[in-house]
Parts: sequence; C-alpha cells; structure tokens
Amino acid sequence: MSVTKPLPHDSAKLHVTGTARYVDDIPVPADCLHLAFGLSDIACGSIQSINLDAVRAAPGVTSVWLAGDLPTDCDCSPSVHDEPLLSDGQIHYLGQPVFLVAATSHTAARHAARLGQIEYSPEPALLTIEDAYLAGSQFGDAPRIWERGTAAPAIYAAAHVIEGVLDMGGQEHFYLESQAAMVMPQDGGDMLVHSSTQHPSEIQHKVAHALDIPMHAVQVETRRMGGGFGGKESQGNALAISCAVVAAATGRPAKMRYDRDDDFTITGKRHDFQIRYRVGTDESGRIEGAEFLQLARCGWAQDLSFPVADRAMLHTDNAYFLPNVRIESHRLKTNTQSATAFRGFGGPQGMLGIERVMDHIAHTLGQDPLAVRRVNFYDTPETQSGRTSTPYGQEVDDFVLDELVTKLADQCDYSIRREAAAQWNETNPVLKRGIALTPVKFGISFTLTHLNQAGALVHVYQDGSIQLNHGGTEMGQGLFQKVAQVAASRFGVPIETIKITATDTGKVPNTSATAASSGSDLNGMAVKAACDTIRDRMATHLGKNVQFEGGSVVVDGSAIPFAEAAKRCYESRISLSATGFYKTPKLEWNPETGQGRPFFYFAYGAACSEVVIDTLTGENRILRTDIIHDAGASLNPVLDIGQVEGGFVQGAGWLTTEELIWDDKGRLRTHAPSTYKIPACSDRPDIFNVSLWDGQNTEDTIYRSKAVGEPPFMLGIAVLMALSDAVGACGDIYADLNAPATPERILKAVQKVRDGI
Amino acid sequence: MYSFEVERPTSVADAAAALGKDEAQALGGGQTLIPTLKQRLASPSVLVSLAGIADIKGVSVDGGTVTIGGGTTHGVVAAEAGAYPALAALAGNIGDPAVRNRGTIGGSLANNDPSACYPSAALASGATIVTNSREIAADDYFQGLFETALEEGEIVISVKFPIPEAASYQKFEQPASRFALVGVYVAKFADGVRVAVTGASEGGVYRWSEAEAALSGNFSADALDGLTVSGDDMISDLHGSGDYRAHLVKVMTKRAVAAAS
Repeated sequence: MSVTKPLPHDSAKLHVTGTARYVDDIPVPADCLHLAFGLSDIACGSIQSINLDAVRAAPGVTSVWLAGDLPTDCDCSPSVHDEPLLSDGQIHYLGQPVFLVAATSHTAARHAARLGQIEYSPEPALLTIEDAYLAGSQFGDAPRIWERGTAAPAIYAAAHVIEGVLDMGGQEHFYLESQAAMVMPQDGGDMLVHSSTQHPSEIQHKVAHALDIPMHAVQVETRRMGGGFGGKESQGNALAISCAVVAAATGRPAKMRYDRDDDFTITGKRHDFQIRYRVGTDESGRIEGAEFLQLARCGWAQDLSFPVADRAMLHTDNAYFLPNVRIESHRLKTNTQSATAFRGFGGPQGMLGIERVMDHIAHTLGQDPLAVRRVNFYDTPETQSGRTSTPYGQEVDDFVLDELVTKLADQCDYSIRREAAAQWNETNPVLKRGIALTPVKFGISFTLTHLNQAGALVHVYQDGSIQLNHGGTEMGQGLFQKVAQVAASRFGVPIETIKITATDTGKVPNTSATAASSGSDLNGMAVKAACDTIRDRMATHLGKNVQFEGGSVVVDGSAIPFAEAAKRCYESRISLSATGFYKTPKLEWNPETGQGRPFFYFAYGAACSEVVIDTLTGENRILRTDIIHDAGASLNPVLDIGQVEGGFVQGAGWLTTEELIWDDKGRLRTHAPSTYKIPACSDRPDIFNVSLWDGQNTEDTIYRSKAVGEPPFMLGIAVLMALSDAVGACGDIYADLNAPATPERILKAVQKVRDGI
Repeated sequence: MYSFEVERPTSVADAAAALGKDEAQALGGGQTLIPTLKQRLASPSVLVSLAGIADIKGVSVDGGTVTIGGGTTHGVVAAEAGAYPALAALAGNIGDPAVRNRGTIGGSLANNDPSACYPSAALASGATIVTNSREIAADDYFQGLFETALEEGEIVISVKFPIPEAASYQKFEQPASRFALVGVYVAKFADGVRVAVTGASEGGVYRWSEAEAALSGNFSADALDGLTVSGDDMISDLHGSGDYRAHLVKVMTKRAVAAAS
C-alpha cells in the first residue's frame, strides 16, 4: 500500500533543479503591470498632505492609487474588517501602505514608490507590551478570562509559591519565497488570481469583496508556495487585492511581489508575549493552583489575534494537570505590524509559560526538572487517578507522554548525561553545560469549529490515470504527496498513476486555510471519500468480491489491470469522477466560556537538548538533541521526520538567534538576512537523533495518522530550558532566561546568577 | 542606483588621472560601494575600477615584512600571506566566499568601516599604508568612522606589514552578517605589544593602550585581569549594547593573547 511508504516529496526533483514554478516564475503577458506600495514613515498619526507628482512622473509609472481612488475600502482583514488596503488618513504603524503604484516593471514601481511626499501630524505611538498594557490599549471589551476551580486559595494554601515573569520575542516567518500575487483579467470582469497563499478561498473572498463582484467571478489558483509557516494565511490578501484592483481598472494583468525588506516591514509576524505566573505546589512539586497573565502584542489590526491568543490559553497546561487554574489573556493593540498566524498559532507561547514554571519549581524545590514534569503529567489511560481533564474540560484519554518520555530519557541517557554535565560544570569555570527534556502536547483542529471541513475532486480517466485535487495548499511540507499516497492506496495503484494538480477554487470551493496542522487530516479524508465513491461504482459494475490492489482490480479471484477496469467502466457509462467531503467529528467549543472540546485529538512529542554556553561572552551551541515524536501511523515517515527536524530547528531559532528590533520611532530595524539571523544548516545540533513514536491515533483519522505540521515546533523549547539550565550552573539564583536567548541576554543572565547584578 | 560612467585603467598613473575628474570615485572589489550605490546613498559620476591594475596586486615577503598590494583580494591574502599567519587567518574569515573573492584590502582600508576586520590588523601591526603619493603610518591613517588620512584621488598601492613575533585576531561575529561585533588584534613585537580593537568604538578602530602596557610587561591573558573597559563611548545598536561590547573587548583580547602565546 502506498501510505506509510517513505516516498520523496513529489516536487523534489523540481526543487533541486530549480524548475518548480512559483508565482513569480509564471510567464506574464507583455502588457503586465507591476505594483509596489508607498509606505508610511511614522508609526502613529494622521496624514496632513500628500504630493505624488514625482511618483506619477517617474519613469515607467502608468498610474497611482490613493485610498479614495479604490473601488471600495478593499478591506484586507481576515476577521473584523479593520484593515483598509491603503491608509484612510490615519497611520497605524511604520510601513503601512499609503499609496499604490503601477508601472511597467517591478523595479520602476519600487523606485517610484519611494518618491511620495507625505506630511504627517504625528501622535505618540504605543510600541511595546508595557506601553499598551499600561495604556489599556487592547482589542475586545475586556481581557478573556478562563477559570477552573479556585486558583488563588489553592496557591495560598500550598506548601510552595513560585512566581515570575517571562518575556518572549516575536518571529519573522522568513519564507524563502516572499509574498507574491498575479491577476489576469478575464471575460466580463472575471479575475484569475495566482497567489502564494495558504488560503485560496480567503483570497477569492477578499478579491470579490474589493471589486464588489460575486465569488463565482474570481478563480484563485495556487500550485505551491516557497514556505508559508502561517505567514501566508492572511498576509497575501493585500497583494492579490491590489493586483485585482489594477487589473479591473486597466484591463491589463498585474503582478506584485514584496522585496524582502518590504516583506519584513509590511507583514505581520509571530506575537511576542509576556507571561506572568504564580503557582502553588506541594512538596513533590505538584501544582495545586496556578495563575497566568498572558499579554500578547497584536499590532495595529485584529487579524487572527483572537484565535492565536485563545490557542495560547489552550496550551497553558501543555502536558500537565492543573486542578485549579486561572488564565487571563490581554490582546494588546500597538502601533506595529499586525501580528499574525505563525506555526503553532499561539500554542508555543502558552506552552513556553508552563515549561518555564516547571523549571522554576524544580529549582525552588531542588529537584530534577524532569521529575517535576512527570509528577505533574496527566494520567495515562492506565493510571486513572482523576487527572485527565484539561482546564477547558476536554478529557485527555490517550496520554502517551509518560511512556514516550521514559523511552526518550532511556534512549538518550538523560540521567547519566545530566549527572555528567553537573560534574563537568564543577571543574570547568568558563564553559557550562545544560540539559533539558521537555514534552509537547498539542491540540489538533481549528478552534473555529466550522473551519474543520474539506473537499476533494477526483477524476479517473479511461486510460486508468487519476487526477487529484483538494482544498489544501502545498508550501513545501509534502501535503500533496501524502494525499496522493492516500488516493493511490484507495485504488491500489502505484503513486505514478496519480497526478496532483494546483489548488483551485474553481475545482474545490469553500476551503479552509492550510493551517492548524490539519492539511493531511482534512484533505486526506476528503480525497479518501471521493476515491471510495468512484471505487464503489467501479466495483458494483465489475462484479462481486472486488479488490483493488497491486495496480490491478481483482474480480472473483481473476485480476485485470486497473487501466482495463477503468476503460470497461467508461464504456459502460459509469461515472468516474467524484467529489469528496469531510468534516471533523466530535468538536464542540465555546471560546467565551473556554469550555468544550476544541480538539479532535492531541499530538505528542518530546525533545532532549544538551547545550554549552561560554560564560565570558554568552556564546552557545546545541551539542545534541534527541527527539521522539508522535505522528500516529505515519502516512510518510520521511516527510514527517522532515517536518519534525525543521520544526525543532525553527522553534530553537525563535528562542535563540531570531531577534526582532524596533527602534523608538517604531521602525523595524531587522528587516533583512544581514540583521536577522535564522538558523542555517550548520546551526542544527551536531548529534541530532529523530525518530517517530510507534503508535497509531486512537481517533479515526486518515489511516490513523496524526498531524505533524506545528507540534514539533515546540520541541525547540528544550533548547531554551537547556540554556537556562547551563546558566543556572553559575550560581544559586533561578536563571529566568528570557527569549530570544541571544549571547548578550545569556551573559546578562550569567552575571545575574553568578554575581547578583 | 544612479547612472555613472566606468573607467578601467591598467596603470596607477591612469587611475590617478581618471580620479581627477569631477565626482570620480575609486572602485575596489565593490563589496561596500556597490550596495551603497544600490541604496542611492552615493552618486559618483565616474567609477574608476582599480581591478585592472596588475601592479597593485599580489603578496610578497621581504625579510620581516609582508607587502600586500592594495588590489589584492581577501581570498588571495588568506592563501598567500602564510608568512604572517594571523593576517592570513583574518583574511580567510572575512564575510563569506563571495566577499573574499571580490573584496580587497585597499578597499577595506580606504573605507574604514568601524566593524571591518582589516583596520585592526593594520593598526596593531604598525603597518604602513603606501599610496601613489606617500607613505602613511597606520597610527596616522585611521581618523574615525569611515575617515582616513587619504586625500581626494589618493590610491592605496600597497600595505607593508612588519611581521610580529606573535599575533592573533579574535572576532566576535554578529551572527547574521558576520561583521565584527567586536574584533581584537594583538601583535607582539620585540619592543612591545600592540592591541587594536574594531567593531566596538564610536570612534572606529583604536589602540587599547592600557592593555598594551600591561601586555608589554607580561604577555599573558592574566595580565589583563585588573583592567576594565568602559561602555560609554562604545557603539550601542540593534546588535548589542555598548556595555556588552565593552565586556567583549576584554574577553576577546584575552582570547587573542592566549591564542598568540
């Protein structure tokens, strides 16, 4: 069977030979216009006057748009209609698009976009979490508060009380292919949109709204993205809308792509958070009560910040039972880029909070951090001690982490190496080692329940070849191959029989974003349904006891080639095309009360990282990382391990080298690879052992697999905890290392722990 | 980039004549100048490429001196200046291979970027910068951020490095660009020790005289223990605070001494 085989990515050869086609590679008609935004130079204020004479006179410029020239407000928001394409006179962040230039080349448009003369009336900008929190600047009428039990009395009565503050930075997506879109005008004002987007239906919806035309008049096609990571869930709207507006006004095709600096400056990033915590524990370190204040910097527009902040709240527990808990979440409005979806979608931030708490408890009680983690774990299906309910009321009934962590700790010699690191630190005054083993429990499903649906369209041609289409998008993660393996398995044919085609709103409508790790779960099931419909029709026609296997159809024990079977069905006028549909069962969720079952199931994993720091400079290296990750019964082990490796490295990057710096005017100063450091191949651990947990999903997912896109990102938390463990070797104070743990931040933490400064 | 003319002289005399034109600018390997032009931060009318002048390229050794032509790339210095190992090692760790195959020592010294590597080598070695009109001691040559003793149109023909008894360059890299967040070059001569610091000061490359005095009496890392570096005049930017840079100056100096001893 094709599923479970370690097949390479379907586009691997195209990727390595440079022939995989991205939006910017699509040949354009000769009269195509190229677009660029003129950006604001201040973070907050209003526009007093605009003089665009020099822009209009610049070489190659054909036309220029201000907000008043647009057919509508051309709203770009995926949520609450608060993102006009161009400034309506108010400036909300430095880098906000103010005007749109169309020119005969990309370079001409960008040059002209810098020539606008705009006078502003500046106002004080709110840039930081502290600024916005003190000013009470937030989205929503009040902070969201979820409670279970009574946290404050439980903490008061506890043997030990631990409290602290954790700051963590944001993160730029740094997809290799920056945002891009191209629109070709069609008959009667219809629009064909090529977009580098994780959400073609959203692009379709927003373009239709901008032009005030029905969705049927807009077709969006996405073959692939050069990386998405959540950054192309909503942030592509502005480009596609701009291209459509220009195409509608001029009748000419239009294309827009952000230069890297513009992409950094304009688009949203991961939410940075401050988490304040106060927990009470018993003598063993077991939490009896916990309070968390989560402050999320959301930027100027709401975008997806509510579901992101909700998911942070939903991962406050991670793998640990919190009998009495109160979580208060503020979604702070600031004059910065509108923070958006990023792999994990708030989950990593919430989870980092409780992982910090575990280390802080262990330090306070003088225990091994892993022992404290284990004493706080949820029940396994066997233990049954009443510790199975999450703070939001969903039961954890398949908790494999106890077993998984035991296996990982054994395999990587956690205890021996922890002892060895301690001994080594005794004798080495300059270099200090640290080790940490952290678990991940991540909820799978969109928390906006209606998004948990998917469609597919499958055609079997009379020569036996099969064309496949579904609502998911390919961003390099290998979704198309995994789904093709499902189709090949249903028909019992070799993978080469299946043709994967570009995501197209004209083929499968009303799709959800390829997000929340749900691509394979949802689309795999929809494709399975479509394949089974066709298979059942073929079987019914061909006879009794029909099997599809090995490229043949076996009817009453005699095999005929699949192609022959398809031909016979066609000639007998059997329909060989079908749609498929899937909706995730069992979900019931109320975000207001924070109660219900938001997730179909949980994905699990654990990582053990060992690091070394230089206490003179703060320099550091990851020496070794061991990971076991739960992908259920993996649809494709090599693609899944690729996701686990990449997720860990990206998570470690978020917490170590990736530092976003805004100056006091609100200008993002890190806007290129020369100033913003993402991990490279050489930054991965020298010893990097990654394996998949040998299990299967207890829920009825596609071939009992589990989603694998986001969960491994949070394995990177082990690196920050190992770094703070190493810092902790310098003295007796708890090393409350913040993220990103740059060398300078590590040095400061060392000085605090060692010298009390 | 604004438009400009390009001249490609093959002799120093022709290059000097070309640089006499209005708003002419010498072009070495272009690793700083071309990005500057792309950003439209400069608008020379004529670029005079020095890449075609054979006389200012190459590495030669004469007794205790290594002489490097101003037009010699970092890659060539790394490969051919083995007579002065610390200098060759510095050249081999500038930027990335693309930078090392285009960028030149003359270009780097003429630009005097406060985070560049070469100025510290020239200053710590007590090098002599030879131009088409005179010889300038390194101590007189570096005059602040992007400022040198070079006159308009003056061309760096070569740099003469006395070979020390021992030397080492230690760079703390800004991880994204690999420029020096702090770089310290220590050179030990028979008559004393010279220590030059790059990347750190708001005044550009400078000699740390207290460290030189301490090390001249006792060339060991311990000799620096009693010294402190103030963060007051250090660069404070998105890559690091002045205090952090000041702290790194001492650490990197110790490392350089340890590596050279």
